[in-house]
Amino acid sequence: MERVRVRPKMQRPKVHIENLNFKYQSNSVFDDLSWTIQKGEQWVLSGISGSGKTTLAKAITGLADYAGKIEINFDNEIQLPAKVSLVESWYQFKNVEGVANFYYQQRYTSQQAKETLTVKAELAHYGKENHLAFADVEPILNALGFAGLKNSQLIELSSGEHKKLQLVKALWLKPQLLIIDQPYTGLDVKSRESLNALLNDVCAEGVSLIIISNDEELPICINRFAKITGGKLEEISALEKAFTNSNYELGEIPEFLKQAPIYSSGLIAKMVDVNISYGEKEVLKNINWEVRAGERWLLQGPNGSGKSTLLSLINGDHPQSYANELYLFGNKRGSGESIWDIKQHIGLISPEFHWYFDANSTVLESVASGLYDSVGLFKTLPYSKKAQVDELINFFGLTENNNDLLNTLPLGKQRLVLLARTIIKNPELLVLDEPCQGLDNQQTAYFNQLIDKVCSNGMTVIYVGHFESQLPSCLEKRMVLENGEVKEISEIKNKNLTLKETIKDFELTI
Amino acid sequence: MSNYFNTLPLREQLNQLGVCEFMDISEFADGVEALKGKKLVIIGCGAQGLNQGLNLRDSGLDVSYTLRKEAIEGKRDSWKNATENNFKVGTYEELIPTADILINLTPDKQHTSVVNAVMPLMKKDATLSYSHGFNIVEEGMQIRKDITVIMVAPKCPGSEVRAEYVRGFGVPTLIAVHPENDPQGKGLAQAKAYAVGTGGHKAGVLLSSFVAEVKSDLMGEQTILCGLLQTGSILSFDKMIEKGIDAGYASKLVQYGVEVTTEALKQGGITAMMDRLSNPAKIKAFEISEEMKDIMRPLFQKHQDDIMSGEFSKTMMEDWANGDKNLLKWRAETGETAFEKTPAGDVKISEQEYFDNYTLMVAFIRAGVELAFETMVQAGIKPESAYYESLHEAPLIANTIARKKLFEMNRVISDTAEYGCYLFDQACKPLLADFMKKVDTDLVGKNFNEGKDGGVDNRKLIEVNEAIRTHQVEKVGAVLRQAMTAMKAIKTN
Repeated sequence: MERVRVRPKMQRPKVHIENLNFKYQSNSVFDDLSWTIQKGEQWVLSGISGSGKTTLAKAITGLADYAGKIEINFDNEIQLPAKVSLVESWYQFKNVEGVANFYYQQRYTSQQAKETLTVKAELAHYGKENHLAFADVEPILNALGFAGLKNSQLIELSSGEHKKLQLVKALWLKPQLLIIDQPYTGLDVKSRESLNALLNDVCAEGVSLIIISNDEELPICINRFAKITGGKLEEISALEKAFTNSNYELGEIPEFLKQAPIYSSGLIAKMVDVNISYGEKEVLKNINWEVRAGERWLLQGPNGSGKSTLLSLINGDHPQSYANELYLFGNKRGSGESIWDIKQHIGLISPEFHWYFDANSTVLESVASGLYDSVGLFKTLPYSKKAQVDELINFFGLTENNNDLLNTLPLGKQRLVLLARTIIKNPELLVLDEPCQGLDNQQTAYFNQLIDKVCSNGMTVIYVGHFESQLPSCLEKRMVLENGEVKEISEIKNKNLTLKETIKDFELTI
Repeated sequence: MSNYFNTLPLREQLNQLGVCEFMDISEFADGVEALKGKKLVIIGCGAQGLNQGLNLRDSGLDVSYTLRKEAIEGKRDSWKNATENNFKVGTYEELIPTADILINLTPDKQHTSVVNAVMPLMKKDATLSYSHGFNIVEEGMQIRKDITVIMVAPKCPGSEVRAEYVRGFGVPTLIAVHPENDPQGKGLAQAKAYAVGTGGHKAGVLLSSFVAEVKSDLMGEQTILCGLLQTGSILSFDKMIEKGIDAGYASKLVQYGVEVTTEALKQGGITAMMDRLSNPAKIKAFEISEEMKDIMRPLFQKHQDDIMSGEFSKTMMEDWANGDKNLLKWRAETGETAFEKTPAGDVKISEQEYFDNYTLMVAFIRAGVELAFETMVQAGIKPESAYYESLHEAPLIANTIARKKLFEMNRVISDTAEYGCYLFDQACKPLLADFMKKVDTDLVGKNFNEGKDGGVDNRKLIEVNEAIRTHQVEKVGAVLRQAMTAMKAIKTN
């Protein structure tokens, strides 16, 4: 691989890529890909899941090996650091002893021994390493609504908050070339707008931007669009419109998913004045909520409003559920049931669940582990179950990846595997916390149609989604949280036409 | 109080040393039934206490914590750990009389005073649970005759006990019932239910005895696990410095090398670890480890003898009584070694390089594991117990070295292990002095294969492979590892 960093002259392009080739296993990801980025150009890079967007970003940043030429010309005339930074869509943090062996449930346990750094310590460390003034980060923290989290430990942050932390660092550093992989993932509407404003600002100061995204709401500074197809990069005039649910045909669903779930109780979950707090910090306040069998809920609220914590109560993951009045599947919580008794009724996915999943499992093991609610498979699969797993994997188009380890697949594919895992037992309740993160529009539409289908057979759903274009149409009730309180419980009316608009209007008012 | 083991006739000593059965998952079909509806009260809320309690409660059991009055009034960390996770917390007087199962998870050193304080408060026919048998076996603590005494010992740090549970698995666990205290014969059923409650049954449970657990645990920790890893690390580092290897590189190789090599050990035993070397390096490592085994055998035997006779615990308890004078002095000395004081350099060392450039450590580990295992088995400890206390735990200890070197290892392990570790290390270094004079950088610091043509004699290689693969620790290990292959790798770097 050839990396050239030459002294800038007039008219030199900022980035020049020529004949880039990259193979993954024996498949070509890039086939003589070329790309030139001139000064003043701000690009959006799109493409379907697995097309190589992330790999290209890593190659430009120098984090991946490749064949071909990548030339980056920094500008001496501006004050910004002559650096390329990549904000990855995935970020692995470690505890203070350097171990990254966590599971998502541990977020909710209160432990006096400080397991991970605080946000403040992490930022102080980063600032020192890059010679940045702490005063400069304050406005960014405020703009992204992050100031209140300075004393939180890294393990306590939600995925959206981790994403913001990475964005905060990049916006603080202002490298001459900034690449952001999926900047909007996990961010609420307000944060997305604040982020776009901040990105416009850094562009004005001379940062060149490459955003990897299929989203339509981009900062106004964006002036060029590209798409990777067939290992090559082509310039397009604008991002292609998102697929709507209606223009993609769902295949025949597996037989076992056509059965109506067998409910153990008509009452799925009931919360009576539920309160959760860590020391002084109240996360949930006086929550009263009832979910009945067959209901389809949309759960919304800004980042940090308490959505994940609320769902963790339902999934048996929160230690403080024992001190609250909570009924799950007809039983009072803490009346002698185990967490495994609860989880057997539920298929769950969340960004944190994916994040902490054991990526050393194969696709087959990952899907099958949903039958036992474990992270990774620890049992021999009986023949009848094996057939069911195979059928579902086939339905998701993952058969050829059956024996691949999750960590060798692109994030979008990993996510599909974990989505298949949520429905493998045809559960009574599906808890889908931002299920379509990392999927492309087509995959999202496909999955949402599947959800509509299984709902029509009577499955109960609780769905969290920030992106209005990514919601299934079966949702009929909505609960909105704000600062840990129920702000609204309502029916979603007129959903065919206005679901998108009503939610959008609604979110903008938050 | 006198040493319990020494009060037994030889017949009974052998009997208890020989309790060892790897339990089949089908033996846990009753789940937590034996503890359902019973009041479980845990003494102490540190890492083991909190994490075991979280697991037991999540398994549907009734768990609360009892702490000393000062800990509650002072709102100490143990109090915060328990209350912030919504556990009921009370003083000894408040909670112990209600306990059906009282779980003692305080440090070894406090056992005598804790048990003396709680025993009069315990209700009739209750159960007292330990996670280590030192107090019963070595200190000879006598428990009221109506009380059932059991042991449940997860073989991992508390944070792992929790992490593996929430992912739907568990950590290997050792259980035992004290034969002097099982008046209703309910001890085993309760210990099994407890192991289910912490998730241990999914990763393999070994039925042992208090005696077998103590005598094998002490032996493993002071020889191969802590002692030899300390000696090997320091000698390796000093050798590299003597031979002019960059100090930062040497520090990093030693700090992380043990973790990388023992990861292979964990997955496939000595065989897998040795197979990571080239053929010529493997033969060399085999030869020098044979030599080291001969040199160190008397020392391993002395440690085992002192453990069996009670000499070791007697000396250590004298130091306890003396305010830990020796322990603290030796701990300070460990903090002052050149290895400890040299930060790991900012160099990239690939996984394979840790094997190729650190053949000496592979040899140290093979020699230490086999010697500890052989010595324990010769002393009457069953091979399964000996496996757990030697090979199985090596990666866990190696991980503590990778985190923050030897000082950290000695901080994390029990004071008992730490005391034994220093005794071993002090005796072992002079024994190996002559051997170390012959060691050059091809064995530690540089790639063994550099400048060699890689050829080996077929018959020699076959002979070496045969010796490695047919060792008893490999045969026992293959069976026991079946149950725990799913455990996630603990990785630091």
